[in-house]
Amino acid sequence: MTKLLEVNNLHTRFKVRNGYLHAVNGVSFSLDKGEMLGVVGESGCGKSVSMMSLIRLLPPAAQITEGEVLLDGEDITHASVSRVNSIRGSKVGMIFQDPMTSLNPFMKIGDQLVEGIVYHRKIAKAEALKQAARYLKMVGISNAEHRLNEYPHQLSGGMRQRVMIAMALLNEPSLVIADEPTTALDVTIQAQIVELVKGLREKLNMSIIWITHDLSLLAGMVDRIMVMYGGYVVEEAVLDDIYKAPLHPYTIGLLKSIPSLKTEAGSRLPSIPGAPPNLFSPPTGCPFAPRCAYKIGRCQDEVPMLAAVSGAGGERPHRVACWVDVRERGVEQ
Amino acid sequence: MTDQALPLQQEEKQFSLAKDAFIRLIANRLAIVGMVLVLFLFFVAIFGPYITPYDFLSQDLMARNQPPSWQHWFGTDDLGRDIMSRVIYGSRTAVIVGFSTVSFSLVIGLFMGALGGYFGGKIDAFVVWLIDITMSIPSLLLVIVINVSLKPPLVNWMDARFLATGNEFYRNTIWVDFVLVFGSLALIKWPKAARIVRGQILSIRNKNYVLAAEALGVPTAKIVRRYVIPNALGPIIVYISASLGEAMVLESSFSFLGVGVRPPIPSWGNMISDGLRIWQLYPHVLAAPAAVLAIVTIAFSFLGDGLNDALNPRQWK
Ligand SMILES: Nc1ncnc2c1ncn2[C@@H]1O[C@H](COP(=O)(O)OP(=O)(O)O)[C@@H](O)[C@H]1O
Ligand code: SF4
Ligand SMILES: [Mg+2]
Repeated sequence: MTKLLEVNNLHTRFKVRNGYLHAVNGVSFSLDKGEMLGVVGESGCGKSVSMMSLIRLLPPAAQITEGEVLLDGEDITHASVSRVNSIRGSKVGMIFQDPMTSLNPFMKIGDQLVEGIVYHRKIAKAEALKQAARYLKMVGISNAEHRLNEYPHQLSGGMRQRVMIAMALLNEPSLVIADEPTTALDVTIQAQIVELVKGLREKLNMSIIWITHDLSLLAGMVDRIMVMYGGYVVEEAVLDDIYKAPLHPYTIGLLKSIPSLKTEAGSRLPSIPGAPPNLFSPPTGCPFAPRCAYKIGRCQDEVPMLAAVSGAGGERPHRVACWVDVRERGVEQ
Repeated sequence: MTDQALPLQQEEKQFSLAKDAFIRLIANRLAIVGMVLVLFLFFVAIFGPYITPYDFLSQDLMARNQPPSWQHWFGTDDLGRDIMSRVIYGSRTAVIVGFSTVSFSLVIGLFMGALGGYFGGKIDAFVVWLIDITMSIPSLLLVIVINVSLKPPLVNWMDARFLATGNEFYRNTIWVDFVLVFGSLALIKWPKAARIVRGQILSIRNKNYVLAAEALGVPTAKIVRRYVIPNALGPIIVYISASLGEAMVLESSFSFLGVGVRPPIPSWGNMISDGLRIWQLYPHVLAAPAAVLAIVTIAFSFLGDGLNDALNPRQWK
């Protein structure tokens, strides 16, 4: 497999009233062509900001202070604004959380869909609209030619998310970043969208980064999972390793809070007590320490580095950032 | 498809949104009533003075305080002047003051609001501070202060220029009234426009559809033109419509209090003030300008509401 994306030691912070909010604190990972990566963590853990940093889609207050992002070997972090614009228009597609507000209410669906390709590929609009109709059909929208002439408010939430997916795919990107694309949808629609993306992935052979706060959603869908906490990557491995042999106490906590078939209806799921750290004044040691049942003395003072698990092999081994090897500690909590 | 066909097609699309909005406006009965009345007001303000049955200044002391009749539809006032002619001429005063005020306040408001909304930080804090300060000054006080402090020196200066140069332009000091009225009104009214513009820019910049367009690599100028402006326009157009009405009412209140447009130039405000002195004996002197002012206010508010609904595709059924 060839490498599509490589991220090294990425740091992003926000300028706030009297200081900085450290949203991304040294994220490193890589993604192969055609691979699908799930990024998981509670809300506020820096998932969106780190993935938006990849294509520098950040508000003015944000600043990438360190690190590099290589897409097809090209450094995006230091590219010119116009180059980044053209990368966005040709290589990367984005799908956002809230389909209800992701479409401009004043533009017809068709006009919005083709905005990017008309500009970047310099193709005639009529041609672009034909292509847009093809993609609308591909994402399961019937009567596509007619839909092109409708305004967003005439479509349901699930339909709009399908339109957003078509919009992201229309420029035939090699990387699609989907930021909680199903969170705002109800459960049946959510399942439909997941199935749709799985199918499209096989058909179009693209790499996908799927961000979610719901670990259970990723089962059967992604190849690898990256767990984020407090702006750090705390664990990363292939799907099975994360589900069957999690090594970070935070991942273990997330897995315990997934309802399973064995969970009795009405019984309370164990959730991790406490809340993610305040990134304005992050703790000096391990960000998870205040909530961790495994913590030892040094956890308070030193940030654990993300490193290959002892005994793990392969080119991209299971990585974890923890001072304790939970395998040696038996079941706690 | 050739490349030349492209701009044509886009123009057609933009036009169709305007057309859709217009169809919605037409379908709203109250908005139609408002629009017809407003258009009639503009028509009267522009052409009225040429079609008034009498000169607004011509007095007929033999026919003072006449009730409405075939010669004088709205009757005559205490100097025997035709009230209808004066109401018609007063509409010109109202429209001139309304338009100048709204344009002035909009220019200042757009500039300040866009400045704050776009640059944020210290600049925004300064703009917000300026808005708050301006809004906290009682408007009547501001107008009186401006009138008392600026008017006499301005009039004196113009008299002196006339004596020195003989230039007719300096002779007509009526314009000083107008300039002071819409100058002070604009000063009072710009913060509201600035607030609307600032709020619109702040909220639209954070909208997902702007983010989505940025994610497609759509250039900034195009995003501003096709995403930000259309979404900001609704509230601004509604503001224009509402504040045209408001400005006319304010002009009338100031003229009523003697700090606006002064007799003999007719203004609905000074006509109402004249009428108030004798309304127990001659109610028609008060009734005509008061009724016209009320109708105009209501017309603008109907039109404003209609525009608001028509320009917002989210509310289309
Ligand atoms: N525009 C912003 N200004 C300041 N802080 C922000 C902004 N956007 C996000 N943050 C902060 O960055 C951190 C990470 O946010 P985010 O990446 O959105 O979390 P997630 O996607 O994991 O829920 C949070 O603490 C959040 O408050
Ligand atoms: S480093 Fe310490 S505090 Fe952090 S997760 Fe591991 S055991 Fe818990
Ligand atoms: Mg997020």
